[in-house]
Amino acid sequence: MPEKIFKDHHDFEHLRRVIMRETTEGPVPIIELAADPEVMSAVTGMGFPAERALEIYYLGPNPTMEQLQLGLRLMDLSLAFSEKVGYDYVTMIPVVPIPRTEFLARENPQQEGKVRGWLDEHHGLIMNRADLEAFPWPSTEEISLVAMDYAASKMPEGMKVMAVYTGIFEDLKRLMGFENMALKSVEDPELCGEILDRLAVLAEAAIDRCAAHEAVGAVFYAEDMGFNRGLMLSPRWMRQWVIPYLKRFAEACHRHGKPFLLHSCGQIDALMEDLIETVGIDARHSFQDNIEPVEEVYRKYHDRIAILGGVDVDLLARGTPEQVRRRTREILEVCAPGGGFCMGSGNSLTNYIRMENYYAMLDETRKWNQEHGYL
Amino acid sequence: MDELKELIKQGKAEETEARVRELLQAGNDPEALLREAMIPAMEEVGNLFQAGEYYLPEMLLAARAMQAGLEVLKPVLARHGAGFLGKVVMGTVQGDIHDIGKNLVTMTLEGAGLEVIDLGVDVSPERFVNAVREHKPLALGMSALLTTTMLSMKETIDALREAGLRDSVRVMVGGAAVRGEFAEEIGADFYGPDSVAARDYVRQIVELAG
Repeated sequence: MPEKIFKDHHDFEHLRRVIMRETTEGPVPIIELAADPEVMSAVTGMGFPAERALEIYYLGPNPTMEQLQLGLRLMDLSLAFSEKVGYDYVTMIPVVPIPRTEFLARENPQQEGKVRGWLDEHHGLIMNRADLEAFPWPSTEEISLVAMDYAASKMPEGMKVMAVYTGIFEDLKRLMGFENMALKSVEDPELCGEILDRLAVLAEAAIDRCAAHEAVGAVFYAEDMGFNRGLMLSPRWMRQWVIPYLKRFAEACHRHGKPFLLHSCGQIDALMEDLIETVGIDARHSFQDNIEPVEEVYRKYHDRIAILGGVDVDLLARGTPEQVRRRTREILEVCAPGGGFCMGSGNSLTNYIRMENYYAMLDETRKWNQEHGYL
Repeated sequence: MDELKELIKQGKAEETEARVRELLQAGNDPEALLREAMIPAMEEVGNLFQAGEYYLPEMLLAARAMQAGLEVLKPVLARHGAGFLGKVVMGTVQGDIHDIGKNLVTMTLEGAGLEVIDLGVDVSPERFVNAVREHKPLALGMSALLTTTMLSMKETIDALREAGLRDSVRVMVGGAAVRGEFAEEIGADFYGPDSVAARDYVRQIVELAG
Protein backbone atom coordinates (compact mmCIF):
# COMPACT_ATOMS: atom_id res chain seq x y z
CA MET A 1 0.00 0.00 0.00
CA PRO A 2 1.40 3.44 -0.82
CA GLU A 3 2.16 5.69 2.15
CA LYS A 4 -0.58 8.14 1.26
CA ILE A 5 -3.52 6.35 -0.22
CA PHE A 6 -4.74 9.34 -2.19
CA LYS A 7 -4.88 12.51 -0.12
CA ASP A 8 -5.26 13.53 3.50
CA HIS A 9 -8.05 16.07 3.22
CA HIS A 10 -11.59 16.23 1.84
CA ASP A 11 -12.89 18.88 -0.50
CA PHE A 12 -16.42 18.16 -1.64
CA GLU A 13 -16.76 21.65 -3.03
CA HIS A 14 -13.96 20.95 -5.51
CA LEU A 15 -15.58 17.63 -6.46
CA ARG A 16 -18.89 19.43 -7.00
CA ARG A 17 -17.28 22.09 -9.18
CA VAL A 18 -15.59 19.41 -11.30
CA ILE A 19 -18.86 17.50 -11.68
CA MET A 20 -20.71 20.68 -12.62
CA ARG A 21 -17.86 21.57 -15.02
CA GLU A 22 -17.32 24.90 -13.32
CA THR A 23 -13.55 24.43 -13.31
CA THR A 24 -10.77 22.80 -15.27
CA GLU A 25 -8.30 23.70 -12.54
CA GLY A 26 -7.33 21.67 -9.49
CA PRO A 27 -6.66 17.98 -8.94
CA VAL A 28 -8.62 15.22 -10.65
CA PRO A 29 -10.94 13.92 -7.92
CA ILE A 30 -11.66 10.24 -7.32
CA ILE A 31 -15.11 8.72 -7.18
CA GLU A 32 -16.86 5.37 -6.76
CA LEU A 33 -20.51 4.42 -6.66
CA ALA A 34 -19.86 1.57 -4.25
CA ALA A 35 -17.19 -0.57 -2.63
CA ASP A 36 -17.75 -4.11 -1.40
CA PRO A 37 -17.16 -4.50 2.35
CA GLU A 38 -14.12 -6.71 1.71
CA VAL A 39 -12.43 -3.80 -0.08
CA MET A 40 -13.33 -1.32 2.64
CA SER A 41 -12.14 -3.78 5.28
CA ALA A 42 -8.84 -4.30 3.47
CA VAL A 43 -8.26 -0.54 3.43
CA THR A 44 -9.34 0.21 7.00
CA GLY A 45 -8.58 -3.01 8.86
CA MET A 46 -12.15 -2.94 10.19
CA GLY A 47 -14.08 -6.19 10.00
CA PHE A 48 -17.58 -6.66 8.63
CA PRO A 49 -19.57 -9.79 7.74
CA ALA A 50 -19.50 -9.15 3.99
CA GLU A 51 -22.12 -11.79 3.23
CA ARG A 52 -24.68 -9.65 5.10
CA ALA A 53 -24.04 -6.44 3.18
CA LEU A 54 -26.82 -6.70 0.57
CA GLU A 55 -29.37 -7.40 3.26
CA ILE A 56 -28.26 -4.25 5.09
CA TYR A 57 -28.16 -2.06 1.99
CA TYR A 58 -31.75 -3.01 1.22
CA LEU A 59 -33.33 -3.09 4.66
CA GLY A 60 -36.94 -4.14 4.35
CA PRO A 61 -39.81 -3.33 6.68
CA ASN A 62 -39.32 -4.22 10.36
CA PRO A 63 -35.55 -4.68 10.52
CA THR A 64 -34.21 -6.59 13.52
CA MET A 65 -32.02 -5.00 16.16
CA GLU A 66 -29.10 -7.07 14.88
CA GLN A 67 -29.65 -5.73 11.33
CA LEU A 68 -29.72 -2.17 12.65
CA GLN A 69 -26.47 -2.77 14.54
CA LEU A 70 -24.90 -4.14 11.39
CA GLY A 71 -26.18 -1.06 9.57
CA LEU A 72 -24.29 1.11 12.04
CA ARG A 73 -21.14 -0.94 11.55
CA LEU A 74 -21.46 -0.62 7.79
CA MET A 75 -21.85 3.15 8.08
CA ASP A 76 -18.77 3.32 10.30
CA LEU A 77 -16.88 1.21 7.80
CA SER A 78 -17.92 3.48 4.91
CA LEU A 79 -16.91 6.58 6.84
CA ALA A 80 -13.54 5.12 7.80
CA PHE A 81 -12.94 3.97 4.20
CA SER A 82 -13.72 7.38 2.69
CA GLU A 83 -11.56 9.10 5.26
CA LYS A 84 -8.61 6.75 4.89
CA VAL A 85 -8.53 6.89 1.10
CA GLY A 86 -9.28 10.60 0.91
CA TYR A 87 -12.60 10.62 -0.92
CA ASP A 88 -14.47 13.91 -0.77
CA TYR A 89 -17.72 12.19 0.13
CA VAL A 90 -19.11 9.18 1.90
CA THR A 91 -21.88 7.15 0.28
CA MET A 92 -25.03 6.62 2.31
CA ILE A 93 -28.34 5.02 1.35
CA PRO A 94 -31.77 6.24 2.46
CA VAL A 95 -33.90 3.46 3.93
CA VAL A 96 -36.91 2.89 1.69
CA PRO A 97 -38.43 -0.26 3.18
CA ILE A 98 -39.85 -1.86 0.04
CA PRO A 99 -40.10 -5.63 0.40
CA ARG A 100 -37.74 -6.87 -2.32
CA THR A 101 -37.14 -10.23 -3.92
CA GLU A 102 -34.24 -11.83 -2.08
CA PHE A 103 -30.90 -12.13 -3.77
CA LEU A 104 -29.66 -15.65 -4.45
CA ALA A 105 -26.33 -16.19 -2.74
CA ARG A 106 -23.73 -18.33 -4.47
CA GLU A 107 -20.16 -19.21 -3.55
CA ASN A 108 -17.64 -18.87 -6.30
CA PRO A 109 -14.87 -21.51 -6.28
CA GLN A 110 -12.71 -19.05 -8.23
CA GLN A 111 -12.74 -16.73 -5.21
CA GLU A 112 -11.94 -18.98 -2.29
CA GLY A 113 -15.59 -19.41 -1.48
CA LYS A 114 -16.51 -15.71 -1.38
CA VAL A 115 -20.23 -15.22 -1.71
CA ARG A 116 -21.94 -13.06 -4.29
CA GLY A 117 -25.61 -12.10 -4.34
CA TRP A 118 -27.42 -12.66 -7.64
CA LEU A 119 -30.69 -11.22 -8.82
CA ASP A 120 -33.25 -13.90 -9.51
CA GLU A 121 -33.84 -13.59 -13.26
CA HIS A 122 -36.95 -15.70 -13.38
CA HIS A 123 -39.04 -14.99 -10.31
CA GLY A 124 -40.03 -11.97 -8.31
CA LEU A 125 -42.48 -10.88 -5.65
CA ILE A 126 -44.75 -9.36 -8.30
CA MET A 127 -45.35 -11.78 -11.16
CA ASN A 128 -48.79 -10.50 -12.13
CA ARG A 129 -51.54 -7.99 -11.40
CA ALA A 130 -52.90 -9.93 -8.41
CA ASP A 131 -49.45 -9.81 -6.78
CA LEU A 132 -49.32 -6.08 -7.43
CA GLU A 133 -52.70 -5.50 -5.83
CA ALA A 134 -51.67 -7.44 -2.71
CA PHE A 135 -48.24 -5.81 -2.47
CA PRO A 136 -47.54 -4.01 0.83
CA TRP A 137 -46.11 -0.73 -0.45
CA PRO A 138 -44.56 1.41 2.25
CA SER A 139 -45.68 5.01 2.56
CA THR A 140 -43.35 7.91 1.93
CA GLU A 141 -43.43 8.60 5.70
CA GLU A 142 -41.55 5.35 6.23
CA ILE A 143 -38.52 6.62 4.29
CA SER A 144 -35.65 7.17 6.70
CA LEU A 145 -32.58 9.32 6.29
CA VAL A 146 -30.97 7.97 9.43
CA ALA A 147 -27.79 7.20 7.49
CA MET A 148 -27.46 10.81 6.36
CA ASP A 149 -28.04 12.07 9.90
CA TYR A 150 -25.47 9.63 11.25
CA ALA A 151 -22.87 10.58 8.66
CA ALA A 152 -23.50 14.28 9.31
CA SER A 153 -22.44 13.82 12.92
CA LYS A 154 -19.30 11.86 12.06
CA MET A 155 -17.93 13.23 8.79
CA PRO A 156 -14.58 15.00 8.79
CA GLU A 157 -14.37 18.57 7.59
CA GLY A 158 -14.83 19.12 3.89
CA MET A 159 -16.67 15.85 3.33
CA LYS A 160 -20.31 15.53 2.21
CA VAL A 161 -22.70 12.62 1.82
CA MET A 162 -23.29 11.10 -1.60
CA ALA A 163 -26.85 9.80 -1.37
CA VAL A 164 -27.03 6.60 -3.41
CA TYR A 165 -30.46 5.62 -4.68
CA THR A 166 -31.20 2.35 -6.46
CA GLY A 167 -33.35 3.18 -9.47
CA ILE A 168 -36.94 2.33 -10.21
CA PHE A 169 -36.11 0.25 -13.29
CA GLU A 170 -33.65 -1.70 -11.13
CA ASP A 171 -36.39 -2.28 -8.58
CA LEU A 172 -38.84 -3.21 -11.33
CA LYS A 173 -36.44 -5.94 -12.49
CA ARG A 174 -35.93 -7.09 -8.94
CA LEU A 175 -39.61 -7.10 -8.01
CA MET A 176 -40.75 -8.89 -11.19
CA GLY A 177 -37.72 -11.03 -12.07
CA PHE A 178 -35.89 -9.91 -15.20
CA GLU A 179 -37.41 -12.43 -17.59
CA ASN A 180 -40.96 -11.87 -16.38
CA MET A 181 -40.45 -8.11 -16.52
CA ALA A 182 -39.14 -8.35 -20.09
CA LEU A 183 -42.12 -10.41 -21.24
CA LYS A 184 -44.62 -8.22 -19.40
CA SER A 185 -43.03 -5.10 -20.87
CA VAL A 186 -44.53 -6.19 -24.18
CA GLU A 187 -47.58 -8.21 -23.11
CA ASP A 188 -48.77 -5.94 -20.28
CA PRO A 189 -46.75 -2.72 -20.24
CA GLU A 190 -49.41 -1.06 -18.07
CA LEU A 191 -48.58 -3.52 -15.27
CA CYS A 192 -44.92 -2.46 -15.45
CA GLY A 193 -46.09 1.15 -15.62
CA GLU A 194 -48.19 0.82 -12.47
CA ILE A 195 -45.28 -0.72 -10.54
CA LEU A 196 -42.94 1.98 -11.80
CA ASP A 197 -45.45 4.59 -10.74
CA ARG A 198 -45.57 3.22 -7.17
CA LEU A 199 -41.79 3.01 -7.05
CA ALA A 200 -41.46 6.53 -8.43
CA VAL A 201 -43.58 8.03 -5.67
CA LEU A 202 -41.13 6.62 -3.12
CA ALA A 203 -38.05 7.47 -5.19
CA GLU A 204 -39.09 11.07 -5.77
CA ALA A 205 -39.85 11.62 -2.11
CA ALA A 206 -36.57 10.00 -1.02
CA ILE A 207 -34.47 11.92 -3.54
CA ASP A 208 -36.18 15.18 -2.67
CA ARG A 209 -35.52 14.64 1.04
CA CYS A 210 -31.94 13.48 0.48
CA ALA A 211 -31.14 16.49 -1.70
CA ALA A 212 -32.70 18.80 0.89
CA HIS A 213 -30.49 17.32 3.64
CA GLU A 214 -27.73 19.70 4.64
CA ALA A 215 -25.10 16.95 4.82
CA VAL A 216 -25.84 15.65 1.32
CA GLY A 217 -23.72 17.01 -1.49
CA ALA A 218 -25.12 15.08 -4.45
CA VAL A 219 -27.44 12.23 -5.41
CA PHE A 220 -25.98 9.20 -7.18
CA TYR A 221 -28.88 7.49 -8.95
CA ALA A 222 -28.11 3.90 -9.98
CA GLU A 223 -30.18 2.58 -12.86
CA ASP A 224 -28.77 -0.19 -15.07
CA MET A 225 -30.49 0.18 -18.42
CA GLY A 226 -28.16 -1.56 -20.85
CA PHE A 227 -26.23 -4.71 -21.54
CA ASN A 228 -23.07 -5.05 -23.65
CA ARG A 229 -24.64 -4.31 -27.02
CA GLY A 230 -27.53 -1.99 -26.26
CA LEU A 231 -30.51 -1.21 -24.11
CA MET A 232 -32.32 -4.06 -22.37
CA LEU A 233 -35.66 -2.70 -23.53
CA SER A 234 -36.31 -0.55 -26.58
CA PRO A 235 -35.58 3.20 -26.49
CA ARG A 236 -39.26 3.78 -27.22
CA TRP A 237 -40.30 1.79 -24.15
CA MET A 238 -37.76 3.50 -21.96
CA ARG A 239 -38.88 6.92 -23.22
CA GLN A 240 -42.48 6.15 -22.46
CA TRP A 241 -42.17 4.36 -19.14
CA VAL A 242 -38.90 5.37 -17.45
CA ILE A 243 -37.45 8.64 -18.75
CA PRO A 244 -40.33 10.86 -17.51
CA TYR A 245 -39.76 9.59 -13.97
CA LEU A 246 -36.01 10.15 -14.17
CA LYS A 247 -36.76 13.74 -15.19
CA ARG A 248 -38.85 14.17 -12.04
CA PHE A 249 -36.06 12.74 -9.88
CA ALA A 250 -33.44 15.03 -11.40
CA GLU A 251 -35.75 17.98 -10.85
CA ALA A 252 -36.28 16.95 -7.21
CA CYS A 253 -32.50 16.93 -6.78
CA HIS A 254 -31.83 20.15 -8.70
CA ARG A 255 -34.55 21.93 -6.74
CA HIS A 256 -32.09 21.87 -3.83
CA GLY A 257 -29.11 22.84 -5.93
CA LYS A 258 -27.46 19.41 -5.77
CA PRO A 259 -25.90 17.51 -8.70
CA PHE A 260 -27.77 14.46 -10.04
CA LEU A 261 -25.32 11.74 -11.10
CA LEU A 262 -26.42 8.73 -13.12
CA HIS A 263 -24.89 5.27 -12.92
CA SER A 264 -25.95 2.89 -15.66
CA CYS A 265 -24.20 -0.23 -16.84
CA GLY A 266 -24.25 -1.27 -20.46
CA GLN A 267 -24.41 0.42 -23.83
CA ILE A 268 -26.95 3.22 -23.34
CA ASP A 269 -25.95 5.51 -26.18
CA ALA A 270 -29.45 5.31 -27.67
CA LEU A 271 -30.78 7.16 -24.61
CA MET A 272 -28.00 9.65 -24.00
CA GLU A 273 -29.78 12.58 -25.65
CA ASP A 274 -32.86 11.88 -23.52
CA LEU A 275 -30.74 11.61 -20.39
CA ILE A 276 -28.88 14.83 -21.06
CA GLU A 277 -31.62 16.98 -22.61
CA THR A 278 -34.83 15.66 -21.07
CA VAL A 279 -33.72 14.27 -17.71
CA GLY A 280 -30.92 16.75 -17.16
CA ILE A 281 -28.30 14.45 -15.64
CA ASP A 282 -25.12 16.21 -14.54
CA ALA A 283 -22.81 13.23 -14.89
CA ARG A 284 -22.65 9.68 -16.17
CA HIS A 285 -20.89 6.76 -14.50
CA SER A 286 -20.05 3.14 -15.44
CA PHE A 287 -17.86 2.18 -18.36
CA GLN A 288 -16.49 -1.07 -19.68
CA ASP A 289 -13.78 -1.27 -22.33
CA ASN A 290 -15.51 -4.02 -24.32
CA ILE A 291 -18.64 -1.85 -24.55
CA GLU A 292 -17.18 1.61 -25.11
CA PRO A 293 -13.96 2.86 -23.53
CA VAL A 294 -14.50 5.86 -21.26
CA GLU A 295 -12.39 8.11 -23.51
CA GLU A 296 -14.88 7.63 -26.35
CA VAL A 297 -17.77 8.57 -24.11
CA TYR A 298 -15.83 11.56 -22.79
CA ARG A 299 -15.12 12.82 -26.30
CA LYS A 300 -18.80 12.64 -27.18
CA TYR A 301 -20.38 14.17 -24.10
CA HIS A 302 -17.88 16.04 -21.93
CA ASP A 303 -19.02 19.42 -23.16
CA ARG A 304 -22.45 18.72 -21.69
CA ILE A 305 -22.01 16.41 -18.68
CA ALA A 306 -19.23 15.14 -16.42
CA ILE A 307 -17.81 11.66 -16.93
CA LEU A 308 -17.05 9.60 -13.82
CA GLY A 309 -14.64 6.67 -13.44
CA GLY A 310 -13.66 4.30 -16.21
CA VAL A 311 -10.88 1.84 -15.29
CA ASP A 312 -12.42 -1.46 -16.34
CA VAL A 313 -13.23 -3.77 -13.43
CA ASP A 314 -11.91 -6.70 -15.46
CA LEU A 315 -8.51 -5.00 -15.59
CA LEU A 316 -8.66 -4.23 -11.87
CA ALA A 317 -9.47 -7.90 -11.24
CA ARG A 318 -7.11 -9.65 -13.62
CA GLY A 319 -4.50 -7.12 -14.69
CA THR A 320 -1.20 -6.20 -13.09
CA PRO A 321 -0.50 -2.93 -11.25
CA GLU A 322 1.68 -1.85 -14.19
CA GLN A 323 -1.19 -2.41 -16.62
CA VAL A 324 -3.56 -0.51 -14.34
CA ARG A 325 -1.11 2.40 -14.08
CA ARG A 326 -0.77 2.49 -17.85
CA ARG A 327 -4.52 2.43 -18.41
CA THR A 328 -5.16 5.04 -15.70
CA ARG A 329 -2.69 7.38 -17.36
CA GLU A 330 -4.17 6.77 -20.82
CA ILE A 331 -7.57 7.76 -19.49
CA LEU A 332 -6.22 10.80 -17.64
CA GLU A 333 -4.41 12.04 -20.73
CA VAL A 334 -7.68 12.20 -22.64
CA CYS A 335 -10.19 13.04 -19.93
CA ALA A 336 -8.36 15.16 -17.34
CA PRO A 337 -7.19 18.28 -19.19
CA GLY A 338 -10.67 19.40 -20.26
CA GLY A 339 -12.18 18.99 -16.78
CA GLY A 340 -15.51 17.41 -15.94
CA PHE A 341 -13.83 14.11 -15.12
CA CYS A 342 -13.25 12.08 -11.95
CA MET A 343 -11.08 8.96 -11.75
CA GLY A 344 -12.39 5.64 -10.49
CA SER A 345 -13.27 2.10 -11.41
CA GLY A 346 -15.52 1.47 -14.38
CA ASN A 347 -18.27 0.15 -12.13
CA SER A 348 -17.52 -0.42 -8.45
CA LEU A 349 -14.86 -1.80 -6.15
CA THR A 350 -15.93 -5.43 -6.17
CA ASN A 351 -14.61 -8.07 -3.80
CA TYR A 352 -12.79 -9.66 -6.71
CA ILE A 353 -10.54 -6.78 -7.73
CA ARG A 354 -6.89 -6.98 -6.68
CA MET A 355 -6.19 -4.45 -3.96
CA GLU A 356 -2.77 -3.68 -5.41
CA ASN A 357 -4.53 -2.68 -8.64
CA TYR A 358 -6.91 -0.40 -6.81
CA TYR A 359 -3.96 1.26 -5.07
CA ALA A 360 -2.14 1.53 -8.41
CA MET A 361 -5.11 3.38 -9.93
CA LEU A 362 -5.23 5.79 -7.00
CA ASP A 363 -1.47 6.28 -6.92
CA GLU A 364 -1.19 6.96 -10.63
CA THR A 365 -3.95 9.57 -10.34
CA ARG A 366 -2.19 11.09 -7.33
CA LYS A 367 1.04 11.27 -9.33
CA TRP A 368 -0.79 12.86 -12.24
CA ASN A 369 -2.19 15.50 -9.93
CA GLN A 370 1.27 16.12 -8.43
CA GLU A 371 2.85 16.42 -11.86
CA HIS A 372 0.25 19.05 -12.69
CA GLY A 373 1.00 21.06 -9.57
CA TYR A 374 -1.84 19.85 -7.36
CA LEU A 375 -1.93 18.15 -3.95
CA MET B 1 -46.74 -21.02 -43.64
CA ASP B 2 -46.32 -17.25 -43.91
CA GLU B 3 -48.78 -16.80 -41.08
CA LEU B 4 -46.80 -19.24 -38.91
CA LYS B 5 -43.65 -17.29 -39.61
CA GLU B 6 -45.33 -14.03 -38.62
CA LEU B 7 -46.75 -15.52 -35.42
CA ILE B 8 -43.26 -16.57 -34.30
CA LYS B 9 -41.80 -13.19 -35.19
CA GLN B 10 -44.52 -11.52 -33.18
CA GLY B 11 -43.90 -13.86 -30.25
CA LYS B 12 -47.41 -15.30 -30.10
CA ALA B 13 -46.83 -18.67 -28.40
CA GLU B 14 -50.38 -20.03 -28.14
CA GLU B 15 -51.25 -19.03 -31.68
CA THR B 16 -48.00 -20.53 -32.99
CA GLU B 17 -48.74 -23.84 -31.31
CA ALA B 18 -52.30 -23.85 -32.73
CA ARG B 19 -51.10 -22.93 -36.22
CA VAL B 20 -48.51 -25.75 -36.24
CA ARG B 21 -51.27 -28.21 -35.31
CA GLU B 22 -53.53 -26.87 -38.05
CA LEU B 23 -50.83 -27.09 -40.68
CA LEU B 24 -49.94 -30.63 -39.66
CA GLN B 25 -53.59 -31.67 -39.70
CA ALA B 26 -53.90 -30.17 -43.17
CA GLY B 27 -51.21 -32.61 -44.27
CA ASN B 28 -48.22 -30.28 -44.50
CA ASP B 29 -44.77 -31.83 -44.37
CA PRO B 30 -43.43 -31.30 -40.80
CA GLU B 31 -39.91 -30.82 -42.04
CA ALA B 32 -41.11 -28.14 -44.45
CA LEU B 33 -42.81 -26.33 -41.55
CA LEU B 34 -39.54 -26.29 -39.70
CA ARG B 35 -37.26 -25.41 -42.60
CA GLU B 36 -39.49 -23.05 -44.55
CA ALA B 37 -41.32 -21.20 -41.79
CA MET B 38 -40.00 -21.68 -38.27
CA ILE B 39 -36.23 -21.55 -38.82
CA PRO B 40 -36.51 -18.59 -41.23
CA ALA B 41 -38.73 -16.81 -38.68
CA MET B 42 -36.07 -17.13 -35.99
CA GLU B 43 -33.42 -16.16 -38.52
CA GLU B 44 -35.30 -12.92 -39.14
CA VAL B 45 -35.79 -12.37 -35.41
CA GLY B 46 -32.04 -12.74 -34.87
CA ASN B 47 -31.32 -10.32 -37.68
CA LEU B 48 -33.82 -7.80 -36.29
CA PHE B 49 -32.09 -8.09 -32.91
CA GLN B 50 -28.69 -7.51 -34.44
CA ALA B 51 -30.03 -4.57 -36.41
CA GLY B 52 -31.30 -3.00 -33.17
CA GLU B 53 -34.96 -3.29 -34.14
CA TYR B 54 -35.75 -6.09 -31.69
CA TYR B 55 -34.70 -6.00 -28.04
CA LEU B 56 -34.47 -8.71 -25.38
CA PRO B 57 -38.23 -8.90 -24.74
CA GLU B 58 -39.04 -9.41 -28.42
CA MET B 59 -36.29 -12.06 -28.67
CA LEU B 60 -37.60 -13.85 -25.58
CA LEU B 61 -41.18 -13.78 -26.83
CA ALA B 62 -40.22 -15.07 -30.28
CA ALA B 63 -38.09 -17.80 -28.74
CA ARG B 64 -40.97 -18.79 -26.49
CA ALA B 65 -43.30 -19.01 -29.50
CA MET B 66 -40.72 -21.09 -31.38
CA GLN B 67 -40.47 -23.43 -28.39
CA ALA B 68 -44.24 -23.80 -28.29
CA GLY B 69 -44.29 -24.73 -31.98
CA LEU B 70 -41.37 -27.12 -31.59
CA GLU B 71 -43.10 -28.96 -28.74
CA VAL B 72 -45.82 -29.95 -31.19
CA LEU B 73 -43.49 -30.58 -34.07
CA LYS B 74 -40.68 -32.54 -32.41
CA PRO B 75 -42.54 -35.86 -31.90
CA VAL B 76 -43.87 -35.71 -35.46
CA LEU B 77 -40.42 -34.98 -36.84
CA ALA B 78 -39.02 -37.89 -34.85
CA ARG B 79 -41.61 -40.24 -36.39
CA HIS B 80 -40.63 -38.99 -39.83
CA GLY B 81 -37.01 -39.73 -39.02
CA ALA B 82 -36.01 -36.11 -39.57
CA GLY B 83 -32.92 -35.17 -37.68
CA PHE B 84 -31.31 -32.11 -36.23
CA LEU B 85 -28.45 -30.34 -37.97
CA GLY B 86 -26.21 -31.18 -35.05
CA LYS B 87 -25.86 -31.14 -31.30
CA VAL B 88 -24.59 -28.39 -28.97
CA VAL B 89 -23.98 -28.54 -25.21
CA MET B 90 -24.69 -25.28 -23.38
CA GLY B 91 -24.30 -24.10 -19.80
CA THR B 92 -23.55 -21.22 -17.44
CA VAL B 93 -20.26 -21.84 -15.67
CA GLN B 94 -19.63 -22.77 -12.05
CA GLY B 95 -20.32 -20.07 -9.46
CA ASP B 96 -22.54 -18.14 -11.89
CA ILE B 97 -26.30 -18.43 -11.94
CA HIS B 98 -27.43 -15.92 -14.53
CA ASP B 99 -28.86 -17.58 -17.56
CA ILE B 100 -30.87 -15.15 -19.71
CA GLY B 101 -27.95 -14.84 -22.14
CA LYS B 102 -27.33 -18.57 -22.20
CA ASN B 103 -31.04 -19.24 -22.71
CA LEU B 104 -31.18 -16.83 -25.62
CA VAL B 105 -28.27 -18.64 -27.28
CA THR B 106 -29.95 -21.99 -26.60
CA MET B 107 -33.24 -20.85 -28.09
CA THR B 108 -31.55 -19.23 -31.07
CA LEU B 109 -29.62 -22.42 -31.80
CA GLU B 110 -32.78 -24.52 -31.48
CA GLY B 111 -34.46 -22.03 -33.76
CA ALA B 112 -31.74 -22.73 -36.29
CA GLY B 113 -32.49 -26.47 -36.24
CA LEU B 114 -29.88 -27.62 -33.77
CA GLU B 115 -30.38 -29.92 -30.82
CA VAL B 116 -29.23 -28.26 -27.60
CA ILE B 117 -28.37 -30.09 -24.40
CA ASP B 118 -28.81 -27.34 -21.82
CA LEU B 119 -26.97 -28.13 -18.60
CA GLY B 120 -28.41 -25.11 -16.79
CA VAL B 121 -26.47 -22.85 -14.42
CA ASP B 122 -23.54 -23.27 -12.01
CA VAL B 123 -22.12 -26.08 -14.16
CA SER B 124 -18.81 -27.52 -12.96
CA PRO B 125 -15.98 -28.37 -15.38
CA GLU B 126 -16.61 -32.05 -14.62
CA ARG B 127 -20.25 -31.80 -15.69
CA PHE B 128 -19.28 -30.10 -18.93
CA VAL B 129 -16.69 -32.80 -19.62
CA ASN B 130 -19.16 -35.59 -18.86
CA ALA B 131 -21.76 -34.01 -21.15
CA VAL B 132 -19.25 -33.71 -24.00
CA ARG B 133 -18.25 -37.32 -23.49
CA GLU B 134 -21.86 -38.50 -23.43
CA HIS B 135 -23.44 -36.37 -26.16
CA LYS B 136 -20.49 -35.88 -28.52
CA PRO B 137 -21.66 -32.40 -29.57
CA LEU B 138 -20.30 -30.33 -32.42
CA ALA B 139 -19.86 -27.43 -30.04
CA LEU B 140 -19.79 -26.58 -26.36
CA GLY B 141 -21.06 -23.14 -25.33
CA MET B 142 -20.22 -21.56 -21.98
CA SER B 143 -21.66 -18.37 -20.55
CA ALA B 144 -20.49 -16.19 -17.62
CA LEU B 145 -21.51 -12.79 -16.32
CA LEU B 146 -18.53 -11.86 -14.20
CA THR B 147 -14.81 -11.44 -14.53
CA THR B 148 -14.39 -13.95 -11.73
CA THR B 149 -16.83 -16.62 -12.79
CA MET B 150 -15.53 -16.60 -16.36
CA LEU B 151 -12.26 -18.04 -15.01
CA SER B 152 -14.12 -21.32 -14.75
CA MET B 153 -14.18 -21.41 -18.56
CA LYS B 154 -10.44 -21.98 -18.60
CA GLU B 155 -10.75 -24.76 -16.04
CA THR B 156 -13.36 -26.45 -18.21
CA ILE B 157 -11.18 -26.21 -21.32
CA ASP B 158 -8.23 -27.59 -19.34
CA ALA B 159 -10.44 -30.39 -18.04
CA LEU B 160 -11.55 -31.22 -21.61
CA ARG B 161 -7.90 -31.39 -22.60
CA GLU B 162 -7.03 -33.66 -19.68
CA ALA B 163 -9.94 -35.92 -20.59
CA GLY B 164 -8.61 -36.13 -24.17
CA LEU B 165 -11.79 -34.48 -25.50
CA ARG B 166 -10.58 -31.02 -26.44
CA ASP B 167 -10.07 -31.78 -30.12
CA SER B 168 -13.46 -33.43 -30.44
CA VAL B 169 -15.48 -30.28 -29.82
CA ARG B 170 -15.45 -26.58 -30.70
CA VAL B 171 -15.64 -24.37 -27.62
CA MET B 172 -17.48 -21.06 -27.79
CA VAL B 173 -17.73 -18.56 -24.93
CA GLY B 174 -19.74 -15.43 -24.21
CA GLY B 175 -21.22 -13.25 -21.49
CA ALA B 176 -21.01 -9.72 -20.14
CA ALA B 177 -17.38 -9.64 -19.04
CA VAL B 178 -16.02 -11.99 -21.71
CA ARG B 179 -14.18 -10.66 -24.72
CA GLY B 180 -12.26 -11.99 -27.70
CA GLU B 181 -8.78 -11.69 -26.17
CA PHE B 182 -9.90 -13.66 -23.14
CA ALA B 183 -11.34 -16.40 -25.35
CA GLU B 184 -8.02 -16.64 -27.16
CA GLU B 185 -6.04 -16.60 -23.90
CA ILE B 186 -7.91 -19.57 -22.43
CA GLY B 187 -7.85 -21.58 -25.65
CA ALA B 188 -11.49 -21.27 -26.68
CA ASP B 189 -12.30 -21.43 -30.38
CA PHE B 190 -14.81 -18.62 -30.53
CA TYR B 191 -16.14 -15.60 -28.67
CA GLY B 192 -19.62 -14.41 -29.57
CA PRO B 193 -20.96 -11.05 -28.45
CA ASP B 194 -24.54 -12.28 -28.86
CA SER B 195 -26.74 -15.24 -29.67
CA VAL B 196 -26.79 -14.56 -33.41
CA ALA B 197 -23.00 -14.66 -33.55
CA ALA B 198 -23.12 -18.02 -31.76
CA ARG B 199 -25.72 -19.30 -34.23
CA ASP B 200 -23.63 -18.22 -37.22
CA TYR B 201 -20.53 -19.85 -35.75
CA VAL B 202 -22.28 -23.17 -35.17
CA ARG B 203 -23.67 -23.03 -38.70
CA GLN B 204 -20.13 -22.73 -40.00
CA ILE B 205 -19.17 -25.83 -38.02
CA VAL B 206 -22.17 -27.71 -39.42
CA GLU B 207 -21.17 -26.75 -42.95
CA LEU B 208 -17.56 -27.79 -42.37
CA ALA B 209 -18.72 -31.09 -40.92
CA GLY B 210 -20.59 -31.64 -44.17
